[in-house]
This record gives sequence, C-alpha cells and structure tokens, in this order.
Amino acid sequence: MWSSDRAHPLSTLRPGARGRVVRVQRDLTSRAERLAALGVGPGAMVRVLQTFPGIVIECDQTELAIERMVGGSIWISLE
Amino acid sequence: MPCPHAAVNLTPRPLLRLRAHPLRIALVGNPNVGKSVIFGRLTGRYVTVSNYPGTTVTLTRGRATVGAEVCDIVDTPGVNALEGALSEDEKVTRDLIKDGEAELIVQIADARNLRRALMLTSQIASFQLPMILVLNMIDEARARGVDIDSAGLSDELGIPVIEAVAPEGRGLAELRDALTDAGVPEAARGTLTHLQWADETSRRFRTIGPMSLGRFQEWLGRAVREPLTGVPILLAVLYLTYLVVGVLGAQTLVGLLEQGLFGTYLNPWARAAAAHLPSALVRDFLVGEYGLITMGITYAIAIVLPVVTTFFLAFGFLEDSGYIPRLAIFSDRLFRAMGLNGKAVLPMVLGLGCDTMATMTTRILATPKERLIAILLLALGVPCSAQLATIMGILGGVSFPALMTLFGVVLTQMVLVGFLAARVLPGDRSDFIMELPPMRMPRPGNLLTKTGLRVRWYLGEAVPLFLAGTALLFVLDRFGALGMLASAARPVVSGLLGLPPRAAEVFVMGFLRRDYGAAGLFRMAHDGALTNVQAVVALTVMTLFVPCVANFLMIVKERGLRVGTAILVLVTILAVGTGAALNFALGGFHVVF
Repeated sequence: MWSSDRAHPLSTLRPGARGRVVRVQRDLTSRAERLAALGVGPGAMVRVLQTFPGIVIECDQTELAIERMVGGSIWISLE
Repeated sequence: MPCPHAAVNLTPRPLLRLRAHPLRIALVGNPNVGKSVIFGRLTGRYVTVSNYPGTTVTLTRGRATVGAEVCDIVDTPGVNALEGALSEDEKVTRDLIKDGEAELIVQIADARNLRRALMLTSQIASFQLPMILVLNMIDEARARGVDIDSAGLSDELGIPVIEAVAPEGRGLAELRDALTDAGVPEAARGTLTHLQWADETSRRFRTIGPMSLGRFQEWLGRAVREPLTGVPILLAVLYLTYLVVGVLGAQTLVGLLEQGLFGTYLNPWARAAAAHLPSALVRDFLVGEYGLITMGITYAIAIVLPVVTTFFLAFGFLEDSGYIPRLAIFSDRLFRAMGLNGKAVLPMVLGLGCDTMATMTTRILATPKERLIAILLLALGVPCSAQLATIMGILGGVSFPALMTLFGVVLTQMVLVGFLAARVLPGDRSDFIMELPPMRMPRPGNLLTKTGLRVRWYLGEAVPLFLAGTALLFVLDRFGALGMLASAARPVVSGLLGLPPRAAEVFVMGFLRRDYGAAGLFRMAHDGALTNVQAVVALTVMTLFVPCVANFLMIVKERGLRVGTAILVLVTILAVGTGAALNFALGGFHVVF
C-alpha cells in the first residue's frame, strides 16, 4: 500500500515500520531542534516500536517516547 | 591534511604545572550516561546515581588528585545540546562552559550512543577547550553488538578516547593518565552540520553486529511500555511498593519500634530516669506530653524512620531499574490536560520521595509554565514518602474504601487544579519528547549507598526539625498558646472540617514538616482520638495542605517569593475548602467507612 518513494508522517506508521527521516517540519517552536539533539534529523533511520498509548520509536540506539503531534511533523520514507 | 596530533604532541607536558588555582575539569555528556558515577569515582564523593535522564539538575563540585596535581571536578546536568533550545538544567551546563569555568572537559558518553555523543563533541569543540572522550558502559554496548574502534576514533578526533565501565572502576586509571593529553578535537567544519558529521564519523568507527546478550532486558523494556502488559505490571509494582512501604514499613516495623522498642522500653526508661530530675519543667520538657524524647524522638525514629527507609529502598530500586520514565508513555495524555506533558511524571513520582527535591527536578521541564504548574501540583497534592506511609498506616487500618477516598479526592483535586492552571496561566506546554533509558537490574551497592545516604539525610534534616517543633509546641503549650490556637482555629477545624480542636496543632506541626504533622495524626488515630471519617478528612487536608518549610523555601528559591506566597495561600484555601466539602459530603451520605 505504501510506496517507498513517498514520505509519510511518522504518526501514520504502524508498529514495526522502518524508514529514513526525510525532513522534520520546522515551525515556530524548537521541536525540530530538540529532535535533532536526540539524533532524529534528516537521514536518520527510525523504527516504530509502539503507537498506543503513545508513540515509541527507536533511532540509532535511543528509544524515544513522543506524542502524536510530534510524530506528525517527522516525515519518513519507508524502507 | 595536517596531523591532528601535532598540536597536542608538541606542547611540553610537565608532570606538575604551577597554577594559580587547581585545574578545573567539567564532566559533560548526554543525560544518563554515568557522569555522576565517574564523578564519584574520581572525587570519592557520592552524588545520587539513578537510571533516568535528569537525576543531576545542579552542579556538584569535588576535588581529585591526579598524579601530583589537585583538580577541581564539576559534575554537570546532562545535555543533549549546547546550542539552540535548552531546558533549564541544560543551560546550567552550557553557562558553566561558556563562562570559562572549565579549563578541561571530560565528555562522558554512552558507548552505544556514539552518534549522539559525537554531536555533542562537535558542539563542545566550538568552545576550543581541551577535552577527552570517555566511552562509558562499553560492556553494555558490546553485549548489544556495538563495537567501537576507539584507537581509530582517537586518531580521527585528535583527543584521547577512553573505554570505561564506571561502576566497576574500569577505565578510570586510563582517564587519569590521559588528562595531560587532552586536546581540542577535530569536528564538524564548514557546511557540515553537527548531525551530519556525527553521522559520518560514527559510521566509520562503530559497527553494529548481532546482539549477544540482553534479550531479557529487551523483552522487559517492551513489556513495561505496551498497554496489555504494561498496565498489569504497573498495578503489580504499585501493590509491591504498598507491601514494602505500607505493610512492612508502616505496620510491621512501626509497630515493632513504636509499641515495642519505644513504648515498652525506651520511653518508660526515660520517664523513670527523668523522675530523678528535680525540676518538673525539665521533666515535662523531656518526657511530658510534648517531650523531646516521648514525642520528638519517638515520632522521628519510631513512626517516620521505618517508613522512610522502606520507601527509599523500594523507590531507589525503581529509579535504578529505568522503569519510572516509561510511566510517561501512559500518563502523557493526562498530564497534557493539565498543561504539562508525560515528562512531568518524573518530578511527580520523585515528589513521593521528597517534594523539596522534586521541586528542583522540575528544571527538566521545558517551559516556565510547565515548571510552575508542576511545582504547584507538587505543593498541593503529592504526598512525600513519610506522609504517604502514615496515610497508609492509618487508613490501611480503617478500610480500603477510606484509602481510595483519600487518593481519589487528592487526585481529582490535582487534575482540576492542573486543568484550571493550564488555562489560566500564560505560556505554552512543550512537546512530549522523552528518552527512555534501558531497563537494568539495579546494582545492590548503589541501591544501598543511595538509601543509606537518603536515610542519613532524613535523620540529619528531620530529627532537628522534629525536636525544634516539639520544643516549640512545648513552649506554646506552657504559655497557653496552643489552647488559644485551638480555640481560634475551632470554627475552621471543628466547624468546617468536623475535627477535634486538638487537630489544629497537628496542622501547625505539618507546616514544619508534613511528615511531622502526619505522625501527629498517626498518634491521634492510635489514641482513638479520631473517628474513621475524621481520619480521612484530616489526612486529606494534611495531604493537600501547605508544603513544609523546606519545600516552601525551595519554591521561593526556584520561582521567587511572590510565586511562593501565592502558592502557599492558594494551597491552604484549596486544602481547607476540599476538606470541608469532603466532611460535608461524607456526613450527608452517612458514610462511616
């Protein structure tokens, strides 16, 4: 169903999905900066571990819990 | 390309340099990588070590002798970045480096997370200070299939790279030896961002193979965060904690100490010994109703100490296991309704240990609004360890519904206040983005050291206050002020809350220390001076009631006198109002528990 050349917001992915971060939407908040400081920036590989009650992802060797809204601004191209 | 070593190697390295002051070394690194363990190893000073990001939120200084030289070492709060948006604890570290308070940086890294560590290395490099990189927890990294070419990395960066397993002391000698070789690292330059450089460098020097160990860890880490298994695990954890603190501590041990040791031996002995004293005043002062021994010491040692000790033990275990941050996943939505996010679970749960310490931990929250709400909720509703256990001790003996009524009322009150505060206070909440530390089996050594130090801290801080409080009550009683206070407070205490007038003095005690007040209630309940309904109302008010002096002072220190006073007034009104409403409701429905 997903085509691998298209990017999807992380918040729409299912547990187990893996992909590369294409971009992190920048807004007036420091969200993108904070994510980058944790290693989640363009080019990083992420894996979705869990989506309920909150999203948990693995990026490199770090497990991160994030809220849906944050997941919505991380765009992933699936592998 | 010039050899990166040239600059370092050509500098003469005398064994002993003459300095105007000891060499200042800062331990810097991502959160939860073991800076405090290494600090402890270098200086011999123990600072609280736990398994969650944000254990250290202030600077700790210590001294170490390296070779023949004395060095000042600073342990700093963990940072994910030194540039851009920083939380308050991260700013503490950034400012230390920016203000030139460190002459040498030892960056501690979690070896597994080399990529994130290098991002930080790259940012530290821009301060042009000599540094060393320590790859800590190299054993855990290897167990997870992560292998690092430290020698290669050292050549590339032009700084010493040390592999270490800090809790076992491995790598510490090498670190001491390497201090003289510290250099300014080669890092991201030109158009390369810190992330891109770290990405590329970590790819070159780190290989990730199949995992050889840690399957159980992995499984447990997953089980506690997924709802189907996580919720039952949470309930089991709460129940076990209750068994350790509420039953073993508050019932068994308190019984042994209060009725056994103090009731049968110490206090009768003290009374017998005091009977030889010529002055009735001195006698009363020591062993009377408000006697230093029969009240002050008995409360501190027999009622509160067992509870605090068992709580710190259970709590330390949870802290070191890595479990507490995972609760954030479940509580994020609830906290969001209160203008916070899941991260607030850390200060809230820490508040169960001590609200004063937890107030300081609110620094890990990102916005001023979040910190203010968290501080308010801590002051309002989170009972500290001693209080929690006296609650369990008293109400556990009444009935389960009584206990649930209290927690229900307090929680509802906190959610309501948080909900309103989120809408009334200006500012924003921040995104919920939280790192989950690996699940680990707590090290018994650290657990015992930590508990021992916390108990000592309790004894050092609480016992003098308990004694001072008892002396104050004694004096007030002598001058008839207690009676006056009781009658002045009668309209509120008896009229609104339906409590015996004597309860007024317990609330005064509660302001000195919440646990002191709670211990007073414990005594009253034991003596049969409280009905079940009165016990529930009194404990609810005490739980919601003003923070203790130490907590109040900490709020003033963190947020200023104006905010402190506002919180004090608000919390007092809420506590009495809620107590009155509860008293009225319980009376109206003829609840007796």
